Amino acid sequence: MSKPEYVYVTYINAPVDKVSDALTDPEMTKDYWGRARNVSDWQPGSRWEHQHYDDASDIAVAGTVLECDPPHKLAVTWAKPGGGSESRVTYLLEEVFGVTRLTVTHDQLDDEQAVKRIAQGWPAILSSLKSLLETGHALQMTRQRWTR
Amino acid sequence: MTDAAVSTFVYVTYIRTTPEQLWAALTRPEFTRQYWFGIEQETDWQVGSPWQIRFADGRIADTGEIVEADPPRRLSIKWRNEFRPELKAEGFSRCTMVLEPTGGAVKLTVTHVMERSGSKFIEAVSGGWPQILSNLKSLLETGELAVAEHDPDASQRK
Repeated sequence: MSKPEYVYVTYINAPVDKVSDALTDPEMTKDYWGRARNVSDWQPGSRWEHQHYDDASDIAVAGTVLECDPPHKLAVTWAKPGGGSESRVTYLLEEVFGVTRLTVTHDQLDDEQAVKRIAQGWPAILSSLKSLLETGHALQMTRQRWTR
Repeated sequence: MTDAAVSTFVYVTYIRTTPEQLWAALTRPEFTRQYWFGIEQETDWQVGSPWQIRFADGRIADTGEIVEADPPRRLSIKWRNEFRPELKAEGFSRCTMVLEPTGGAVKLTVTHVMERSGSKFIEAVSGGWPQILSNLKSLLETGELAVAEHDPDASQRK
């Protein structure tokens, strides 16, 4: 049996390259992604880290860049630092009717419990990303760090 | 999903609005027409009342019944496709919408369930809901839509 996956699709009234930039621009991620930044040189095989915006040593998630084809595709492995199982996140950005269809697939997850956990996070992050790109303002709830 | 005899689609979105405004957008024709590609809902939103939706050209798309209506918190609809025989043959699904205020936004959870495994109907709505709800969010936050035309490619995807 294949490992469980989680898929979230959102349509954003913004060009594909703006949505792509927003995934790695720390001045944007800090507002829509719980005051974090995604750091890497984004070359396949390179490490990437999901760091606290104000403290680079505070790393919530890290992994390896699998594929980076801006502005259409980014795939990374995903694990909590210091061990734990590794999953995979793929961002697919497609232009439809002049706007962007963003599909985030988080797969190779351990079990349905893991799906439930991450299903708490992605809708908030991606809703806030959409708000930020369409209105200039992220949602209030994603501007602070997550309470863990 | 864990229960093999059930097909489920869940979509969560956070919208910068109030529960009252979101409820109005979910139930009033002047809103649905805009974000739902011309669709009209016909019902009085009372529990037990018939519910149906029509395409902009007047054809009936889906029919059903209001199962729960607790404005501005919870809405549940018994829902059957009418325009694709293979989907209609699956019978009634249940669509539940839950609205929860949270930190300056409203969390909207749409759960669409069919009591059978591998439902083609649930597969079809899995392509539709992200478009409809992306549009709804854009309309309430910006007054504009995200996608003006239905994206036919989406329903073929998973």
